[in-house]
Amino acid sequence: MKRYLSHPFWQGAIVIVVSYVAFEWVIGYVLPVIGVASAPVPSSVILQYMLTVLVGIVLYMSADEARWKSFKKPIHETMVARDRKTLRGILMVALPVLIGWLAYQNVRPSYAAPATLRSVHPAPPNQLTFRGETIELTGLENPLHEEGSIEEHLAVGKRIYVRNCVPCHGDLLDGQGHYAPAFNPVPADFTSSGNLPQLTESYVFWRIVKGGPGLPREGTPWDSAMPAWETILEQDEIWATILYLYDQTGFTPRTWEEEGEGGHE
Amino acid sequence: MRVLRRGTLGTLGTLALGGFAILALSAAPPLSAQEDAAAAGKVVYDRWCAECHGETGQGDGSAAASMLPRPRDFTQALYQIRTTGSGQLPTDADIRFAIENGLPGTTMPGWPNLTDGEIDDLIVYLKSFSRFFGQGPAPEPLDFGSDPGGGPAAIEAGAAAYLTMLCEECHGLSGRGDGTSAPTLEDWRGLPIRAADLTEAWVLNGGSSVEDMHTRMLTGLDGTPMPSAIDAMNSGVVSPDEVWQLAHYLASLGPREMPPLREVIRVGRAEAGLPADGEEEAWAGVEAFYFPMSGQVVQLPRNFAPAVDGLWVQGLHDGSDIALRVQWNDPSNSPDPNWDEWQNKITAALDLDGAEPIALDSAGAPTARPPDAVLLQFPFEPPEGTDRPYFLMGDAREPVYLWTWDSETGVGAGRGRGLDSVEPLGEDPVTGEATWEEGRWTLYLRRSIEVESDGLDFAEGAPMPIAFQAWDGSSAEVGKRSSVSTWYYILLEPPASSTVVVTPLLAMLLTGAFGLVLVRRAQDRRRDG
Amino acid sequence: MRSHFWNRSAALLAVAAMAACGGGDGGSSEAADDAGEATPAAAAVDPSTVGTISGMANFGGMVPTMEAIDMSAEAECAAGYGADGPMAQSVLVSEGGLANVFVYLSEGVSGAPAASGAATLDQVNCRYTPHVLGVQSGQDIEISNSDNLLHNINATPTENRGFNISQPRAGITSTQRFQVAEVMVPVRCDVHGWMQAYIGVVDHPYFAVTGADGSYSIANVPAGDYTLTAWHEEFGTQTANVTVTAGEMAVATFDYNAEMMGAEVPMGDALVLEHGTNRIRVERTQ
Repeated sequence: MKRYLSHPFWQGAIVIVVSYVAFEWVIGYVLPVIGVASAPVPSSVILQYMLTVLVGIVLYMSADEARWKSFKKPIHETMVARDRKTLRGILMVALPVLIGWLAYQNVRPSYAAPATLRSVHPAPPNQLTFRGETIELTGLENPLHEEGSIEEHLAVGKRIYVRNCVPCHGDLLDGQGHYAPAFNPVPADFTSSGNLPQLTESYVFWRIVKGGPGLPREGTPWDSAMPAWETILEQDEIWATILYLYDQTGFTPRTWEEEGEGGHE
Repeated sequence: MRVLRRGTLGTLGTLALGGFAILALSAAPPLSAQEDAAAAGKVVYDRWCAECHGETGQGDGSAAASMLPRPRDFTQALYQIRTTGSGQLPTDADIRFAIENGLPGTTMPGWPNLTDGEIDDLIVYLKSFSRFFGQGPAPEPLDFGSDPGGGPAAIEAGAAAYLTMLCEECHGLSGRGDGTSAPTLEDWRGLPIRAADLTEAWVLNGGSSVEDMHTRMLTGLDGTPMPSAIDAMNSGVVSPDEVWQLAHYLASLGPREMPPLREVIRVGRAEAGLPADGEEEAWAGVEAFYFPMSGQVVQLPRNFAPAVDGLWVQGLHDGSDIALRVQWNDPSNSPDPNWDEWQNKITAALDLDGAEPIALDSAGAPTARPPDAVLLQFPFEPPEGTDRPYFLMGDAREPVYLWTWDSETGVGAGRGRGLDSVEPLGEDPVTGEATWEEGRWTLYLRRSIEVESDGLDFAEGAPMPIAFQAWDGSSAEVGKRSSVSTWYYILLEPPASSTVVVTPLLAMLLTGAFGLVLVRRAQDRRRDG
Repeated sequence: MRSHFWNRSAALLAVAAMAACGGGDGGSSEAADDAGEATPAAAAVDPSTVGTISGMANFGGMVPTMEAIDMSAEAECAAGYGADGPMAQSVLVSEGGLANVFVYLSEGVSGAPAASGAATLDQVNCRYTPHVLGVQSGQDIEISNSDNLLHNINATPTENRGFNISQPRAGITSTQRFQVAEVMVPVRCDVHGWMQAYIGVVDHPYFAVTGADGSYSIANVPAGDYTLTAWHEEFGTQTANVTVTAGEMAVATFDYNAEMMGAEVPMGDALVLEHGTNRIRVERTQ
């Protein structure tokens, strides 16, 4: 074992295997299990990473004459030694087959959906019109914080949410309503830390008022099943629903001070 | 009062009710523990449950009118999902099962966000809505025996038991909920209720496993027309093993889970020519794609309780024509006067969200019987990048190309500029027909891949956006009250290309040759050296 | 009218005679027997302390026509009816007497013998026999199927626990009980939407169902003052005060006519669904 670990060739081989495992499985599948947000790496990106690793290994090995020599030795041996005839034969068949298979993967017809780049939180406009009334979004606060009873607003918001939003966004506000499977893109998950806490209430107001049809192009407005709620709800009902969303999920909205520093992704 | 233990109760059973209550209270743990649990349960209930089930537990929350079936009324303690006999109260474990798993096929979700302790408290509170809990002994699960095992023989025996038990009276011969009695079924409130479509096990209220189905048959689903089979079993009409075999048969009728969503409908080349209709045997070998459907809940009037919950789509092409087969389950072949009562009841029971209800004549018959309908939509011009028309039949700016069918006028083609704007296309580029059999529509559609100056060309190998809508006439679905999907893709398989074979071969040859040269050179050098 | 009067009087006399002869034998009238009535046999009643209540449910004026039932789905059942085919059973009038009125003591009963014996509810030619059944709380109800086809017996009480049992063959018997008084418990078959029965549950044995001729009789009633309630599925409830004297027969008559059609019909604690608001109200009736 130790003999292998100290040998440059096997060191290189181990680095390649470990890197591949890390790119292919650890990033995409292990990290989410331990609670780190992550997603599988696309195969084209993996190929790029692996090439970088390979180049790195070759550079490192060739930097020192002795190391380079002992790195090359097993490869050379396999090519010439009499007692490695069997291994040589196997490799002479296996390598072309592997390359052929990779080539096939590249040229075989693909039935995948074309990749769509969709901005989940596109930049909001500065103002919007609500049934003809112009509302400045910049600096806009939820007016219900200042008037009436918050309990009553929350009760209204809950009633509006359950009546109108539950079929898609779900009773648990997790974007898994009973009709969610029919929609692509899937309805927003309000329990995700990537949504409500990143947004100002005015942003959420814009998204509710204008819905899918009011998205800019980068938000793929033709795909979204989010209604433009100005056709169905009153302004106060929408603001009450926003209060409910934050109250029920326990998140706090982004404020305009924070907004100034970060901006929307 | 779930604290009452059976042992205590056995001895108390003969006593008068008054004395019984006093004794029971003295035998129970301090009442405050129960009160605490109920109070904690109320917090959970008010936060998550009350808006549908109502503050007083009567299933009359603010959103209930748009739901069918309605939310459970806890005051009646009529629980569908039990392990106890017909009409019996559920066990705590039964109530927990329903909370944890939800009732598939209804608006009741599972509640993974609640902790075990919260669910315990909630159960105490739910039971406090009904006077039935705490009267008499704690409910006991039935003895379900043990499963003698599945397999083809068991399934065959189960199919026979299905007929022996006359399940088809409601569920239909193929299990799609299209039995003779299906149009008149009501729940305990007198609201219309579907006979379960047993081929879509993933929307069965009580779960889709063999055990689930077996349990539901023996307990019945209280509050619904589904009776308990236990007396029939005990009378020897079917043996306990046959009830298990029946459960295996039911589980074999279709996939247990909702089929995974695949975004691209792959339309293969039919080397032997396209099938001429939807019935041809050739379709059996063609990959089918399932698309779940939602109610149209985007524009008023919305449809919160759609009848069609999904479509199966298959496609074939021969280089010049494309043929699609669309299948979906619908227990009624609308228009059908046998379903008048159903249509009237749906109209009365559902909040139509502003839609005009179909009027009744003096004899109580509906003045209109809408047809069943399905439409497929495509972008009018080939998509640029990922841009597409609005998924709800386009808009004034960007129209969609519609393939339409309804059970009265048949197949057609149209231009859609929004949900209420369809103009028929002059020619008849799309042909086809539909047949209805045992609760399932089979729609066959055919069109040239390219139609001169028509605006819709299916380039082979290029994904074409496609979306669907469906209506069930007997459920009073007309206009915007439909089922919809968002955009998916359809892709015509290009002719077999030589590159698929040549490129890998070439790559192998090159690698092999390069390897040989390397090895030969290395060996030569060593010999020379 | 005149002949009706005589017919009714004759029926009343016959009932009275039956009751007088019947003594302590449960006091069921012939009419009630026709309707499958099973009054629990009271144990060792002292004849010197009890009397009988009998009377008529009279129907005056035009008798509403009953709609034909389409039983074409079950030819086997349809064949059991005459040329006119099966008709609805909600208002059955014969010779001026209204059948299927559930008559019971609603007030004044103090103490009652425990239920004994079983009541029976049969399914014959896709109909319930009897159409209206009275039982005492806790009494066994034996439900059987004389049709060789699928029925389900779906009882939807609100005070009691219900049941919903399938009987896919002739010869199956299910035994059920209702534990507390409830007037009435609707029973239906979901396979055959026209099949409807009502079970009146009271916590004493002093009840009867009017027979085909409209007569009823309740025997072995301890002497005393009572309120008698008559329930009918179309005409709702009526009450009468009766005084029972030991060894004698008290008479209470209920009058019905077509104008009373559509009256509010109490059904246990009625659950009323208000369309539009979707609220479900519990209407207390007792």
